[in-house]
Amino acid sequence: MTTMDNLLKKHVNALKTTALILMLAIPFALYAAASHGSILQVKLLMAVFIANMLFVMKNG
Amino acid sequence: MIDVFLVKWILALSPILTVLVLMIFKNWSGSRAGAAGWFVALIMATFVFGAHPVLIAHSQAKGALLSLNVLYIIWAALLLYHVVNETGAIKAIGIGIQRFSGDKSIQILIFGWIFASFLQGVAGYGVPIAVVAPLLVGLGFSPVAAVAVPAIGHSWSVTFGSMGASFQALMSVSGLSAPYLAPWSATLLGITTFLCGICAVHVYGGWKMTRHSALAILVVGTAMAGSQYILAVSGMWTLGGFGASLVGLCSGLVVAKLKIYNRVPPSQTQSEMGLGWALSAYFILIVIVSSGVMIPPVEAFLGQINLTLVFPEIISMKGWVTQAGKGKAINIFGHGGALLLYATIIGFLVYRSKGFYRSDALKTIIQKTITSGVPTSLGIVSMVCFAMIMDHCQMITILAEGISRVFGPVYPLVSPWIGLLGAFMTGSNTNSNVVFGVLQQETAQLAGLSTGLILAAQTTGGALGSMIAPAKILVGCSTVGLSGKEGPVLKATLQYGLIITGVVGMITLLFSFIR
Repeated sequence: MTTMDNLLKKHVNALKTTALILMLAIPFALYAAASHGSILQVKLLMAVFIANMLFVMKNG
Repeated sequence: MIDVFLVKWILALSPILTVLVLMIFKNWSGSRAGAAGWFVALIMATFVFGAHPVLIAHSQAKGALLSLNVLYIIWAALLLYHVVNETGAIKAIGIGIQRFSGDKSIQILIFGWIFASFLQGVAGYGVPIAVVAPLLVGLGFSPVAAVAVPAIGHSWSVTFGSMGASFQALMSVSGLSAPYLAPWSATLLGITTFLCGICAVHVYGGWKMTRHSALAILVVGTAMAGSQYILAVSGMWTLGGFGASLVGLCSGLVVAKLKIYNRVPPSQTQSEMGLGWALSAYFILIVIVSSGVMIPPVEAFLGQINLTLVFPEIISMKGWVTQAGKGKAINIFGHGGALLLYATIIGFLVYRSKGFYRSDALKTIIQKTITSGVPTSLGIVSMVCFAMIMDHCQMITILAEGISRVFGPVYPLVSPWIGLLGAFMTGSNTNSNVVFGVLQQETAQLAGLSTGLILAAQTTGGALGSMIAPAKILVGCSTVGLSGKEGPVLKATLQYGLIITGVVGMITLLFSFIR
C-alpha cells in the first residue's frame, strides 16, 4: 500500500493531467454510446468516469 | 405537501452544500470538492430525482461542451500570462508605474486597484494578488494591507477579466447572448468599480486618505467603468476588464501628475525592459481581438468551423423533460480563446526575436501553464458536470422555486449574495456562475423579474466574492510571508466584501422596480 501511495505521489501531476483529459473525453464517448442505444457501454463508461472522479476527489 | 417539497429542496441543495462545507470547513481544493459535489449530485439524481444512464450520459456530454468553451479561454489566458511574465515584463510594468508618484494613496490606487485589475484582465486566477502584494510590501506597506488592497481593488474586473472567462461561463450555462447580458452586467460592475477603489484606499488609510484620493477615484473610476461598459456592449467583452484597466492605467498616470498627488517625490528605479516592450504582447492582443470582433469579414472567416452536438429530448423517470436541441457550440478559430492564442504566439515570437527569453523559456512557460491550469480545470469540469446533472433532473428548478416562494419580489436583494457565496466557496467567479447561473435564471423567470438584471447581480456578487475567497487570499498571503496567518487579511476583506455586496443588492432591487 505504501509503495502504491509513493508511486501515486511521484506521478500525481501527470495523473491529474490524464484525469482532466479523461473528464473531457469520456462524456463524448458516453454521448456516442447513448446515441446508439448501447446501455451496457454507457454503464461501462460511467464506471470509468466514476473511477476518474474518485481519483480527482482524492488527489485533485 | 409543503413538507415533501422542503425535503426535496434540501436534497436538491445537497450537492452545493457538500461543496460549500468541504471547501470552507475542511479546506478542500475546488477540484476535490467539485468531484465530491458531483458524486452527491449523481446519487441524489439517481435515487431521488429519477435519473437514468442515458440522461446522465447526455448531461455529461453537455457539461463537457460547456467546460471546453470556458477552458479554451482559461488555458489561452494562462499561456499568454506566462509568455509575458517569463520575459520579466510584469515586473517591468510594476517598476514603470512606481516611477509616476510617491503619494501613498496614488500608489494604492495604481497598484492595488488599477494594476491589479489589469492583471485580472490578462490572467486572473489569483495572479493579481500574488503579483501586487509583494510589490506593495516593497513600497513599505504592511503585509496584511499589501494582500487586502489588491484583493479588494481588483474584484470589480473579475467578470470581464481573464478575457471574459466568467462572462463566457454565464452565457454558456444560461444560453443567453452577450448583447442581452452585457448591459446590466457592465452597469452593476461599473458601480462596484468606484466602491472597490474607495474600499481599497479605506482599508489602508481610513476616511482621511479616502477623501484625499476622491478626485483620482472619480476620474479613474469613470474612465474604467465607462470603458468596460462600451467594450462589453459593443461585443468586445473579452477585452472588458483588460481594456478598461488599460484606460484606467493611462488616466491614473495622468492623475498622478496632479499637484495634490506630488508632494512626495516618486521612485527613480529603472527596469531593463521599457514599458512599451513590456506591454507589447497586450497591444498585439488588442489589435487581434478588435479585428476578430469588429471587422465582419474577419469574424465571418474565423467563424466558419463550429463544433457542437445535437441532443435528443430527455425525460427523467419522474417525468421531467429536457428539450431537444444543440449543445453549446465551440467556434474553433473565432473563439475568444483562439484570439488569445494568436496574440500569444505572435507575442512570443516578438519577445524571442528581441532576445528577452532564456534558452529553456518555452519549456518553462509550458510547464508553468500546465501546473496552474490543471487544478483550476479539474474544478471547473467537475462543477459544470454536476450542475448539468442537477439541471437535467429538475433539481435546479426545485431550488429556484423554493427561493422564489420565500423571497418573491425582493429576490433581487438576495441574488448578489448567492453569487458571492458561490465565489467564496469555489474561489472563482466562473465556478459561481456555473453552479448558480441556471438557478438564478430560473428563479428570476418564476418571480417575473428581468433575467438579465438578476444574472448581472449573480456575476457581480461572484466577482466581489474574489476578495473574500480563501483560495485567493491563501495565494496572496503565501507571497508576503503570511502563510498560516490569513485570518487578519480575511477579516479585513470580509467587511468590505459584505458592505459592497449589500449595496449591489439594494441597487439591483431598485433597478428591478424602475426597469
